[in-house]
Amino acid sequence: MNESIGDFRDLTRGGARVSLVFHSGGVPVRWSQCSATAEYFAEYFADVHAQACADDADRNEFIGTLSYIVNELVENAVKFSMGEAVEVTVSIEGEELVALVSNQILATTVEGLIEKFRGLVAGDPTEMLIARVEANAVNPDAGVSGLGFLTMMADYGATLGWYFGAVQDNPQNVLLKTMARLPMRNQ
Amino acid sequence: MSDATVKGTGYRVFFDAGAATVHFEGSLRLGTAEYEPIAALLSGVLALRPTAITLRMTELVFLNSSGINTLYKFIIAVRKLGDLAVHVDASSTITWQGKSLPNLRKFLPSITLTLS
Repeated sequence: MNESIGDFRDLTRGGARVSLVFHSGGVPVRWSQCSATAEYFAEYFADVHAQACADDADRNEFIGTLSYIVNELVENAVKFSMGEAVEVTVSIEGEELVALVSNQILATTVEGLIEKFRGLVAGDPTEMLIARVEANAVNPDAGVSGLGFLTMMADYGATLGWYFGAVQDNPQNVLLKTMARLPMRNQ
Repeated sequence: MSDATVKGTGYRVFFDAGAATVHFEGSLRLGTAEYEPIAALLSGVLALRPTAITLRMTELVFLNSSGINTLYKFIIAVRKLGDLAVHVDASSTITWQGKSLPNLRKFLPSITLTLS
């Protein structure tokens, strides 16, 4: 399988880039560890981006934005990962800040995800956010909020893309890469 | 329920009945089910049928999307009551608040929001 949805582009080799790979070793990754990961990337890239941070307010905005985006991506990856490694990469590419998370998911979930992601990139993010919250309010048993990608797009102006690829030697799993791109000038 | 508190590692949410204020403090990045105690605290506040309440967010540094969902659902529950005035005291220096809290007006147009 080899399918892309939305704004998924391979990273170039030009800009500053940091990657972390989680090998949980069977120990569930806690939400606090997702948060710590997000804060690490945000603090690291705030210094990379320092020349564009005119003052403390700009720096806070940059850190708050990148921390939110990476935390949401890593929480998602950890939630749905099938026990293999989770890789997190943040890169500055030209005028964009790019966050990329890779993990394996069950092949049986791919069809539903493709439909969901196509819907996310086809509609108005704010309208979809409102509709989702209203739906959640009348469905208190929903196990997931479904607001992660919607808030990234509607509140932070992120563009999202996904890639599905085959996992060698394990047809039961599929490699999922999720990418969020943020215009740096808005940070 | 005169006062109530939910706290965990790095966060605290509590209701000050005298001031009719719910205080949110720390960093809230929990799983969806882990927000249940906070949702229950907020439902308990509504059960008191106050005429006005304040949500004080100025000490809440992070809130993930599951937490934002909990907050928005609470505001929709307030809307259904129809007669409860809500004020949100927020900080413009905390990124998520400037990004996501203005959406509260979409669910409850009468809400007042201070981003200081």
